[in-house]
Amino acid sequence: MKSGKIFQISLILFIVTTLTIVVGIVISLINSSYPIFLRHGFGFISRSVWNPIEEDYGILPPLLGTLITSAIAISIATPLAISLAIFASEIIPSRLRSFVNNVSDLMASLPSVIYGLWGLYVLAPILHKYVMLPLHNYLGFIPLFSVKPTPTNLFTAGVLLSIMIIPFASSIIREAYTAIPYNLKEAAYSLGMTRWEVVKTMLGYIRSAIFAGVFLALGRAMGETMAVAMVVGNIMNIPKSIFDMGYTISSLIANQFPNAEAYKYMVPALYGGALILFTVGLIINLIGLHLVRRVMVKS
Amino acid sequence: MNRRRLEEKIMLGVISLLAIISAIPIFAIIINIYSEGLKYVSLSFLIDFPPPPISGGAGGIGPALVGSLILIGLATVIGGAIGFFTGLYLSEYSHTKLAQYTQMFLQIMVEFPTIIIGLFAYSVLVAPLKRFNAFAGAFALSIVIIPYIALNVREAYKSIPYTLKEAAFSLGLSYPKVYLRVLLSTAKRGVLTALLIGMAKAGGETAPLLLTILGTTFTYFEGLDQPINAIPLLIYNFALSPYERWHQVAWGASAVLLTIILTIFIISRLVVKEVKI
Repeated sequence: MKSGKIFQISLILFIVTTLTIVVGIVISLINSSYPIFLRHGFGFISRSVWNPIEEDYGILPPLLGTLITSAIAISIATPLAISLAIFASEIIPSRLRSFVNNVSDLMASLPSVIYGLWGLYVLAPILHKYVMLPLHNYLGFIPLFSVKPTPTNLFTAGVLLSIMIIPFASSIIREAYTAIPYNLKEAAYSLGMTRWEVVKTMLGYIRSAIFAGVFLALGRAMGETMAVAMVVGNIMNIPKSIFDMGYTISSLIANQFPNAEAYKYMVPALYGGALILFTVGLIINLIGLHLVRRVMVKS
Repeated sequence: MNRRRLEEKIMLGVISLLAIISAIPIFAIIINIYSEGLKYVSLSFLIDFPPPPISGGAGGIGPALVGSLILIGLATVIGGAIGFFTGLYLSEYSHTKLAQYTQMFLQIMVEFPTIIIGLFAYSVLVAPLKRFNAFAGAFALSIVIIPYIALNVREAYKSIPYTLKEAAFSLGLSYPKVYLRVLLSTAKRGVLTALLIGMAKAGGETAPLLLTILGTTFTYFEGLDQPINAIPLLIYNFALSPYERWHQVAWGASAVLLTIILTIFIISRLVVKEVKI
């Protein structure tokens, strides 16, 4: 019994270390960012300025950039992720299943700078020539497409992000789909449903897993840094169309941090951006995790 | 009836098409990286200093490769130890409130933007020392991989049949012997997979390094308190530079990084496969 207590206590030391780190992260974010909130108040979030010389900062543009790029990413990735999950668990023969799942897992484990390099030199020129310029030329009267696109902009970042988050969303949906009790599917088939009708019904059954996958993927998209920093254009202005070059909060930090120390308030400003990103991401992830847990309880 | 069959055909076709579209990029990336990058890779590419940006000339990624290996090694040791014992606690004392809260924290930590972890490491280890340093980078990477390792180790220990644990305890073995000898040998593939996942993460992670090791040095490792370079950071810096020669080095470095990640990925799959048999 005694060795059991000692063992448990020594394990708790590691737990405490882990928890200290989590708490430390939150404290350091707040501690390093409060000067900027004291200085600008709500204006730090609601204004668009980045003027280190006069120490005036407002991060509305990157905030919008984060929202726009992740919205583009989610709208492209959701149908693709659902399709990939159904394809892997319902359509292909079962001996190919592990191959498809491996490919999807590999997509999830590629470093983001590799996505970034590929996005910058391969994806961006292709999108520019075959998607963005035609959209601008023929549909330019729609405000969304009104700006003449350069290869790197918010849209490119959104598309690259969608590629990166598909495997995350897909694997959560896939897990829920394969966990559906078999007799439910049998019952559906016995009613004379076609395979598509069964799939449709089952998707309704696991819809909270689909929402969970989408939310967690959204959290990833908002926090993703390096790949976005390489293709988003890194320009500070309020985007007027999705073809504008821009910033996201995380790419702003990556891009500006190396020279931030030269100014008194730039470091707090960047920590402030991170604090906002953290808070928004935390809420989204908590919703996602809550949905995942609901699915688990159900199955 | 006919209309429903037609609808089935069309919808399953559309789903398959979308699924194939979503898998195209991974193959395109692997093909592009190797076809563009491999031509610059040679033995000297792995050893040499980076080339000067303008005059061309031979050069490589030696310092960054060494830096990456040091960072991966340190992060796997630090993050692996903390993550392993955390995961063990989560599995064995899962009924405690402490374990439940910790697990929730870890699940949130997995989703943390890693650049925030970089900012934390900067506050704790870079700002006080007033110098970008290798240890801060390893520290940040350890934090990134702790939740992955802990959650996977927990799964590995959870999957051990209860009877085995009972048998081990009935032999009168002490707790550390039961968990770290008997049960570890059963869970070792799961634990190994957890460590491999952590290594792959540590090898590819870039954002926290930008704020901790900076990566503008071209010299070989000079000590943990000095700045170093790492492959992912070199790719980022060189790809965004205006120099054609450095773009080539970035492609070559990407081929090397992709090979490292693919190797770890394949090993981890082989380990898992053996476990299932």
